[in-house]
Amino acid sequence: MKISLSNEIKSDYESFACLIKFAEMTKNRVFDNIDISMKNMYWFDANMCSTFGAILYKIGRGPNVVTLSNIPRNIETILSKNGFLSHYGKVKSQDTYGTTIEYKRFEPRDDRYFGAYIEENLTGKGIPEMSKGLRKKFVESIFEIFSNAIIHSKTQMGIFSCGQFFPKKNRLDFSVTDLGIGIYQNVKEHTKQELTAEEAIKWAMEGKNTTKVGRIPGGLGLKLLREFIKMNKGKIQIVSDKGYWELSEGEASSKSFDEPFRGTTVNIEINTTDTRSYCLSSEIQPEDIF
Amino acid sequence: MDNIVRIRVFEVVGSDLCVASDDGQKVHDQIAIALREGRKVNISFYNVESLTSAFLNAAIGQLYGEFSEEKIKASISVKDMSKDDLGLLKRVVDTAKQYFKDPARFEKAREEVLEDGNEF
Repeated sequence: MKISLSNEIKSDYESFACLIKFAEMTKNRVFDNIDISMKNMYWFDANMCSTFGAILYKIGRGPNVVTLSNIPRNIETILSKNGFLSHYGKVKSQDTYGTTIEYKRFEPRDDRYFGAYIEENLTGKGIPEMSKGLRKKFVESIFEIFSNAIIHSKTQMGIFSCGQFFPKKNRLDFSVTDLGIGIYQNVKEHTKQELTAEEAIKWAMEGKNTTKVGRIPGGLGLKLLREFIKMNKGKIQIVSDKGYWELSEGEASSKSFDEPFRGTTVNIEINTTDTRSYCLSSEIQPEDIF
Repeated sequence: MDNIVRIRVFEVVGSDLCVASDDGQKVHDQIAIALREGRKVNISFYNVESLTSAFLNAAIGQLYGEFSEEKIKASISVKDMSKDDLGLLKRVVDTAKQYFKDPARFEKAREEVLEDGNEF
């Protein structure tokens, strides 16, 4: 099977729709050679390797053989630097300016390994020196997203992550994708309501809503993420099933896709020039906690 | 030996990254053993760099499904936390109290604890 990807893949609704369409076209293939031509592409946001890589991994599990061909030089350069193309027979090239956060696939039990990966990729590279408060919030947000994927997705195929610093925009993007049952199924089963995927994501992002049951409480991770990104004037995009939810410039909006994404992607974009301390204004004393 | 059990989170987890639910569970198990024995517990977060709600939900939030609010308030104290982390812990505790107000969730948590052979 030959497939061609065109134009650009960016962190936006249209590009997610394009990748979902591509995943749907290939979903029933087995024992096939899937040749993906990138000849007509001119841009690829490196953090989107998280979603693209998850889709390719699932195709490969068909089993199928996946080949990426006719990759334009500028795209090949960036996807070689972040290690993405190493999964498809290319050599990893040196990231001279250190602006990439490597593309990696993790097993759900790899949280320690994930921690080391984040530390390694944010320290002593071209990723800008962020204020101590911002760095801590960013790292904790990434872990909240990763934990959410482990706890809620029930994925058997791993968790895919990748990031990219865009120096001209002072923006750092980081994406986490899982191929688990997704927010939509979780919320639908939990609420027993006929919600759309778009409504399900909104539900998960609101108040104290949680699909968690059992002895360990939940329902805070995504809200903390939302609060942080709003203060930072960054962006969150969540894709699950046919739902797309975005927080940008402090405003939330949502849309639907024509076809479902069989998993969940959370992409965050932070403003790296933010110097806010992120300390709470109200003083909480240890004796007031419980 | 005094009545207070001192738990160093860094030591239990073995890292300054206290982010994973499974690591939070290890801290929880130590606290729960002490509470069942009627001990007071002092939890130190000295040298902990990163904390998540997932970790704190497992370490401390779930205690509200096993012990009364009164017992927890009378028995647990924390120290060596930044203002920001204290704020996070407060939200985790408030969320846990709210979570276990749902009788179905409380009952489910109780069943799971009993299945493990622990006294409730």
